[in-house]
Amino acid sequence: MLVWFRYGVILSAVLSVSLLIYLIFKTFSFSTPKLNAPPSGSKKKGILFALGRGMMPWEKESAKKHLVTYGAGIFYHSGIFAAFFYLFLDLFFVKTSSYTDSIFIVLIASALVCGLGLLLKRSLLKYMRAISSPDDFISNTLVDLFLLFSLFHAFGFQVRIFWYTAAILLFLYIPMGKIRHCFFFFYARILFGSFYGRRGVYPPRQPSSYE
Amino acid sequence: MSSQKEKNERYEQRVKNIGGPEHDKILDEFKNSLHSEFAAYLNTCAHCGLCADSCHYYLTSEETENIPAYKLSLVTKVFKHSYDPFAKKAPRLFGARSLDKKMINEWIDVLFGRCTLCGRCAINCTMGINIPYLIRAARGALASAGLVPPGLQSTVDTALDKGNNMGISKEDWLETIEWLEDELKEETGDKQAGLPIDRKGMRLLYTINPREAMFFPLSISAVGKIFYAAGEKWTFSSENFDVTNYGLYSGDDNAAGIMSGRLIKALHELRCSELILAECGHGYNSNRWEAPEWLKVKYDFKVRSILEVIYQYIKEGRIKLNPELNKERVTLHDPCNLVRLGGIIEYQRYILKKSVQDFVEMFPNRDKNFCCGGGGGQLAMTRFAERRIKAGKLKAEQIKKTGAKIVATPCHNCIDQLMELNKHYKLGVQIKTVSEIVADAVVL
Repeated sequence: MLVWFRYGVILSAVLSVSLLIYLIFKTFSFSTPKLNAPPSGSKKKGILFALGRGMMPWEKESAKKHLVTYGAGIFYHSGIFAAFFYLFLDLFFVKTSSYTDSIFIVLIASALVCGLGLLLKRSLLKYMRAISSPDDFISNTLVDLFLLFSLFHAFGFQVRIFWYTAAILLFLYIPMGKIRHCFFFFYARILFGSFYGRRGVYPPRQPSSYE
Repeated sequence: MSSQKEKNERYEQRVKNIGGPEHDKILDEFKNSLHSEFAAYLNTCAHCGLCADSCHYYLTSEETENIPAYKLSLVTKVFKHSYDPFAKKAPRLFGARSLDKKMINEWIDVLFGRCTLCGRCAINCTMGINIPYLIRAARGALASAGLVPPGLQSTVDTALDKGNNMGISKEDWLETIEWLEDELKEETGDKQAGLPIDRKGMRLLYTINPREAMFFPLSISAVGKIFYAAGEKWTFSSENFDVTNYGLYSGDDNAAGIMSGRLIKALHELRCSELILAECGHGYNSNRWEAPEWLKVKYDFKVRSILEVIYQYIKEGRIKLNPELNKERVTLHDPCNLVRLGGIIEYQRYILKKSVQDFVEMFPNRDKNFCCGGGGGQLAMTRFAERRIKAGKLKAEQIKKTGAKIVATPCHNCIDQLMELNKHYKLGVQIKTVSEIVADAVVL
């Protein structure tokens, strides 16, 4: 029976990636703007800034003001990627050492705590509820369930069927809801860097500060 | 006055009676304005809410509608409803909404009335979504159905009909230049000093914000004096001198293209080699960055801000400055369109440090600076004036903290807003352009 779940996870992952690729094609079916204004800065430098220093709290006020949320976001996303990797190792029967398992446990556990914290924040704060749709809550819950069963599995509990089920549901949901932002994030950052890089805004020529 | 009232009433009536054809028109225009970058952005927002307190509207009034993510969501909802295969099937689940009457009203109130398109949210967005450009696209869609709030639309219409946004006649413009020229001759003691008009083959074509001619002629004299001191070859155009472009704010690319195209026409007719933009934030963004895209042309001439020109004069020793002539403490307000969206960041600082004895920064500054609240066409939309003044509170506090007596800002829209803030928040400061301060320090 487990083997069917295993195939189910692989199939849902393939379907998920295919749908995401379809969404990307759909996005690029819109025209691509060709810019005529001559640049005054470097697009390349802007992109490097956007993907690196430009996301750091000392450069970005929103990150600096919300260090806890910012940190939670980093741990959450790192843990999610780790959990996916852990799942794929399991799906393809790759044996992991106890040392590797403990790294996965730390990453996934911290992601779960952060995920639940972010869900709580979204539920409790009025302004967060105001900008949320049911999709935001479902996305977070599905990811948290997946993390939870990944963690149980890492601790040696026999929860594979639940773990795989959570993974299947998550994979099927990814292209539908907001989790698709994981695919668009890097492209959006590149566009950001390119826009401000061309205009000579980023990277900043002189340090600017908040206070 | 009554005509403005009538326009407002007509507008309210129009909004009230929006029907199917308007919906279709707005949606069509919105779809036309989308390109792959916008579509990617509209798939990216994770509703993390970290943008909330980057916005001066939200920081001064914690209403949901002031959160940038909320403003963006109004655009995203319509996008999803039209294009997202999953959200189309389950709109409530994925937060999609059709562009119905209620949504159009919300677009007008929020996208026009609660945003200055300053872009501070974009640089603080976790993803880097260009929120103001998406809001502008939605504004453009409303513009296609004639739903731009009357004050802003009147400014665009006046510019299109009369050639400048204040409706100054050629006769009045020439007369203003004539008396300013007399004053310049008197000040310099040189009968050859002048404010040339329509002189062909000059290096620079200089533009102004029409408010300078109407209310702030000293700004024009100041630049004239600087050009005189530098021995520059330059000219004004008698026909097309308006650097402003409210099409940037209404979102109407066609109107914006016509306005910017006039400056290009004047430059070609007068055979000048550089278009020099006066101290005007949105005028700079429009004519330096956006006009080539609106007009789909590559310029065969250079476009620079007057600040870049003055910087060059100082660097090359073409003008001499005595900072002792400006003893009072000066601070600098960064116009969003010029700095965060335009990339003109350090020139004004260099110039002021050479022109005044006591220069202090306000914090935050440069790309991180707060909008004064006057951008995005807010000054023209009287219906949102109360919000505008409230949103300017942060700027007023920034200014107070510096202890400066003079606030320099290279933007006439910002000047208007800062003058109102000065009065409302009792700041007791003088507001000047950078050129005015330089002109006071110029040694002839």
